[in-house]
Amino acid sequence: MNRAADQPKPNPLREGLSTRPVSQPCAIVIFGATGDLTHRKLIPALYNLAADGELPAGVAIVGFARRNKSDDEFRRDLEEATRKFSRQPVRDEIWKTFAQSIVYHQSEFDDESGYQSLAKRLDEIDKNYGTRGNRLFYFAAAPDQFEPILKHLKAAGLNETCEGSWARIIVEKPFGTDLDSARELNRIIRNSFTEEQTYRIDHFLGKETAQNILVLRFANAIFSPLWNTHYVDHVQITAAETLGVGTRAGYYEHAGALRDMVQNHLLQLLCLIAMEPPTDLAADSIRDEKVKVVRSLRRWSRNEIAANVVRGQYTAGAIHGEPVVGYRQEQNVNPDSQTETFVALRLFIDDWRWADVPVYLRVGKRLPKSETDISIHFKKAPAVLFNKDLSDLNVLVIRIQPDEGISLRIHAKVPGTSFRIEPVKMDFHYGTSFGKPSPEAYERLLLDAMSGDATLFARSDEVEEAWAFIDPIEEAWHANDAPELFFYPAGSWGPEAADNLLARDGRAWRRL
Amino acid sequence: MPTVPETYSLGVPAEISRIDQELKKLWQEGEGAMTRASLMNLAVYSEEPGSLNSNTQLMAKITENHACRAIVIEAACGAKENSVDAWISAHCHVSHVGGKQVCSEQISFLLKGGCTTLLPNIVFSHLDSDLPFYLWWQEEFREPMDPQLWAWVDRVIYDSHGWKDFRAQMRLVKSAEQEAKQRIVFCDLNWTRLDNLRFALAQFFDHPASHHHFAEIRSLRVDFAPGFRSTAVLFAGWLAAQLNWSTEKAKSSHELCFIGLSGRKIDIELRERDGAPIHEVALTTAEVEFLVTHAKCGDLLEVSRARPGEKAMPQLMPAGKNDPVSLMSEELMRGGPHDVYLRAVNCVRDLL
Repeated sequence: MNRAADQPKPNPLREGLSTRPVSQPCAIVIFGATGDLTHRKLIPALYNLAADGELPAGVAIVGFARRNKSDDEFRRDLEEATRKFSRQPVRDEIWKTFAQSIVYHQSEFDDESGYQSLAKRLDEIDKNYGTRGNRLFYFAAAPDQFEPILKHLKAAGLNETCEGSWARIIVEKPFGTDLDSARELNRIIRNSFTEEQTYRIDHFLGKETAQNILVLRFANAIFSPLWNTHYVDHVQITAAETLGVGTRAGYYEHAGALRDMVQNHLLQLLCLIAMEPPTDLAADSIRDEKVKVVRSLRRWSRNEIAANVVRGQYTAGAIHGEPVVGYRQEQNVNPDSQTETFVALRLFIDDWRWADVPVYLRVGKRLPKSETDISIHFKKAPAVLFNKDLSDLNVLVIRIQPDEGISLRIHAKVPGTSFRIEPVKMDFHYGTSFGKPSPEAYERLLLDAMSGDATLFARSDEVEEAWAFIDPIEEAWHANDAPELFFYPAGSWGPEAADNLLARDGRAWRRL
Repeated sequence: MPTVPETYSLGVPAEISRIDQELKKLWQEGEGAMTRASLMNLAVYSEEPGSLNSNTQLMAKITENHACRAIVIEAACGAKENSVDAWISAHCHVSHVGGKQVCSEQISFLLKGGCTTLLPNIVFSHLDSDLPFYLWWQEEFREPMDPQLWAWVDRVIYDSHGWKDFRAQMRLVKSAEQEAKQRIVFCDLNWTRLDNLRFALAQFFDHPASHHHFAEIRSLRVDFAPGFRSTAVLFAGWLAAQLNWSTEKAKSSHELCFIGLSGRKIDIELRERDGAPIHEVALTTAEVEFLVTHAKCGDLLEVSRARPGEKAMPQLMPAGKNDPVSLMSEELMRGGPHDVYLRAVNCVRDLL
């Protein structure tokens, strides 16, 4: 990806050593440093970067949270978590050096003095750790804390930097709960930080295969002429998981699958599949094209929503042969909950390239397997030869997780004297072809933020456009004449109504 | 695994004319139990007696991270009779994703007699089509450089560390480049040995505010292990090439001198010490010392900068390993052209 405009002059000693933008020294301040995200993802990701030699010299990590803790206590907690969640085993000598860069800063999020003392501490850190006045503020706290944090950062002057240094914020989803709240959140952020300083993280975009979509599409000339309404019959995107709501009921009851997954992850994947070629690989060039896709999504009336969107909720069933309870029986879930744990949508992108090509999205919990993939189903060959209607379409599948890879289904003649034709699959697996495991999405995204590359982060207009598409569906679901909430047993592929969504068009969900 | 279960064995003997059929049979027998993977043709050539077995062991390790068609060749050029023996085998390992048995195939050849004429023929007829061809040349190059062979090679991998006459060898390498019409990429494992050190030193200068140090460099000290002087000189050559230093006459084989862009003299001290091939590098300006040294635990580099009044914050980084499998893995991972290497060589060619 290209360097951002504020990238420094290149270091001549880096030539030939690295093909990615160079990350810069900085102090990473994590708000909500005692929380799950910090322990499970952020610190293990930073440790892995350090162990791989990817973390620049002069990085300090400041944990900002309410609880009383000493630096040593905080480090011990993080060490324990990292040993549990790191993708590579923790080495004592590396942890010891890495841990020296971690400090704890205790403060309430709405306590102004806590930010003033943070500013002083960051100045000291600049001197002691060589962080050069660069600040990366990671918002791992609850969204309702964003406003006080942002306000106090500004009041303490931490949104500004001296010449040659930078301040950036990384914001975790949810980016609002609807269009109004997203706009409000963006307004609050803009009061303190500019759009260029703001990195909205969507960890799906940090996954290797998600990034590979751009390479597949724009580095392989064979796909380019086929990637349009003339050759593509339809597109399917599935994000299935076997897990139930687990401990996230408090959040999930209010969010549901549509807000939790479709508004961000699935629409982002759709954008990468459907976007026009960008003029270059600069962050805004790519994001300009992505936002056009969301803007081109056909908007629906209430009746059309009922016809094109199916929502479901899992009931008791079995996963991998083990009985599991229904959603309404899960801990902290309302026994009469109307929250959807499954959504299937039939979308259209009303632009020149994709006119009349349906895109089917589905996402669900407690489905038979955990898998996220995208499939491009090409149109049938004319049935004038071979005496056969080739009902199995050519399908290009991009597997996002867990077994990242790409496969292509083509037709082949079965050996023999007759002309029997059967589909065969050409299959590429990252794990098979490349021995080295991919870094975790958070590792890639943290490095990108440190190097000022916003390509894999969502821009405010992308977020708002996505909400503008999602809001009418949510409104329809909460109206008096709301479309039905369908139920499906855990371990099935969702309600029958989701199958009918495609069956109506003479299609079916791809077998996963 | 079907008929060739031992990872390190040469496998099943095969007639040269039937290698393709035998490979096909191998995969058919293992179908369902193993997945064939290949991203490149990787041929290794050696004239060392017994290298067929030792290189098979190396390939078994290398293919764990780099799926390829491995072609292992041992040549006994002085043998009186002309003969070619071949074997096929597969190196299998469990994939880090999904627990699959992933296998790379290997074809092994023992050539006796007219090696130079046999080699291209043997290699060409057994390449996996449409995949790049990497040739790991474990011998010194010698004339005549077969144009037929070099024109087909995408990357030639060698280790200049053991070369007796660097200039003569580079001249031959260059002639191979001409034969290949510039397509070939030179991969020197002696240069790969420096990757982590270069990375560790380079990161001091990522911030533009630190670029002023380039003009203030006064000296460089490189501590190298016995036998690795050429590695140390290449390191100095890299700095000279990237920072536009020009060469001055060397005071001795261990005291080199360059002139920086500002006209300042830069003294290079090469010190022979026991330890890792390059176990310490110290770059000194008027006020700062940038130090990269091997940590006690061996496979890590300790990186620090010392300046009066500033607390040194040492950082640990991977040091890399000096064994052939690690060096090859590092090299195969990197890809891309090696222009920086060639510039470094040009700077210090006469000092090597």
